[in-house]
Amino acid sequence: MFAATSAAGTATPKLSVEHARKSFRQANGADVAAIADLSFTVRAGEYVAIVGPTGAGKSVLLDCLLGLKTLDAGQILIDGRPVQNFVREKKGHITRIFQEDRLLPWLSANDNAAIGLQMQGVAEKERRATAARWLDAVGLSSFKEALPSELSGGMRQRVNIARAFAPDPELVLLDEAFSALDDVTATRLRQDFKTLAQAQSTTFLIVTHSIDEAIFLADRILVFGAPARLMAEIAVPSRAFEDRAISDQIKDEVRRLIAAGARVQ
Amino acid sequence: MVDRTGPRPESAGALSSTSVKPDTTASRGFVSRVIRATLPFLVIAILWQIASFYTKPYLFPGLGSVAKSFWNILTTWDLLSQGLITWARLVVAVAVSLVIGIPIGLVMGLSSRVDEFLRPIVKFIMGVPALNWVIIVIIWFSSTELRIGFVLVVLCTPVTVYCVYDGVRGIDRKLTDMVLAFGANPIQHVRLLMWPYVKASAFTAAKLNVANAVRTVIVAELVGAPLGIGKELDLAKNVFDMATVLAWTIFLVLMALIMAQGIEYAERVTLRWRGDSRRRD
Repeated sequence: MFAATSAAGTATPKLSVEHARKSFRQANGADVAAIADLSFTVRAGEYVAIVGPTGAGKSVLLDCLLGLKTLDAGQILIDGRPVQNFVREKKGHITRIFQEDRLLPWLSANDNAAIGLQMQGVAEKERRATAARWLDAVGLSSFKEALPSELSGGMRQRVNIARAFAPDPELVLLDEAFSALDDVTATRLRQDFKTLAQAQSTTFLIVTHSIDEAIFLADRILVFGAPARLMAEIAVPSRAFEDRAISDQIKDEVRRLIAAGARVQ
Repeated sequence: MVDRTGPRPESAGALSSTSVKPDTTASRGFVSRVIRATLPFLVIAILWQIASFYTKPYLFPGLGSVAKSFWNILTTWDLLSQGLITWARLVVAVAVSLVIGIPIGLVMGLSSRVDEFLRPIVKFIMGVPALNWVIIVIIWFSSTELRIGFVLVVLCTPVTVYCVYDGVRGIDRKLTDMVLAFGANPIQHVRLLMWPYVKASAFTAAKLNVANAVRTVIVAELVGAPLGIGKELDLAKNVFDMATVLAWTIFLVLMALIMAQGIEYAERVTLRWRGDSRRRD
């Protein structure tokens, strides 16, 4: 099979999740584990996809990576520092591309794309110019002043992508970023995203249910069980997406692992 | 009336007949809407006019007398100014209730502790009838303006509080997560996400309060105000001048409608993002 390239042993990884645990209390008082002893690392500039069954705590992990939720045990380190410190000191340097666009309906495309910059305290003129450049890059030059209600689903998702790139992030989290779109739009957007991303020196963590998407975008696939724990790492050869034999082999392996992880649940 | 603008069916071909049909239908629809909207008032006016033939003028004055009184109000500055005084009281009271109610509703929406503390107070105030407040303010204050202002503000503010509170509580959790994910501090959170929702709620509160205040202001003015529509109604009542009473009533209703329209216009301009008919997919 495809040997995973472990980040261990290299210099300080960009992201390090160490023995993370997170549970939630249900209405009946019972605790349900969302993350169970999860550990993995991601190198700077790496594209890592996370796939796993529904309820594998992937979105909870992303919330923890953004400092919105705290772990019950274990730690998340960015550049060797606790994520809470990183988020506090370097505001907007971890961004998220959401499944739904989550644009503010009263702001223009340009102002929506500039939200991360606004949080960083960038002056209005500069942030509007930066956001405009990113809207140009995602192909929305003519729609900068359009409201979200005036844009199609694909266009709104492009603003979502521009918003994530505009603050010059060090880590971008993709949370099922293309799954709400139709196949044609999603394929085109994935391609555009990859072209944009390759021009950056950013690290990408891609949560997806689509194995094809993981193979297309990622250098490495982490297969999660439910609750979130690492079941396997699969290295994705650079030509895997074009080579049907390789991609089928990866898909079969990932499907087998996901099924095994889901059964444990 | 019969619409004779379109071509006659027998002289028009099938295609042209099809092409003019929507216009005819549209104009018929408009006429039908106008008739449906005015018919109830027309029936009441006819019945009123009939009643005026058989009763004394102080019970059912003729529509001509009412129209004359209304025209008199519009063209006599001494009378019109009384209407404008009442209007100014309404505007100030609604504005003050927004200024007081918005921060209270916002804080209640943000903090469950504040909500827990203030909710019973707001509910209690909402339960007090307007007339009770009028009696209370007569004892509390000697200034007429203060009395009227207090009654209006105390009746309008809880409405604003609840509207804003509901607006804040109704904010999409996903948008809150998005704003926090990008590192918003509490001030940025309020400014970027909450304020637009609060604005929308404030417009709803203002519309409700205009209707609320119009009903209350006359009660407050009737009890000892030397100026305003309430005083004019009191004077008309003393001489059994029903035509003037009706004319002022129509004036009040129109004033409330114009204010509501003004607020709705401002709402449309300010909250144009709420338009949902322009989506591309």
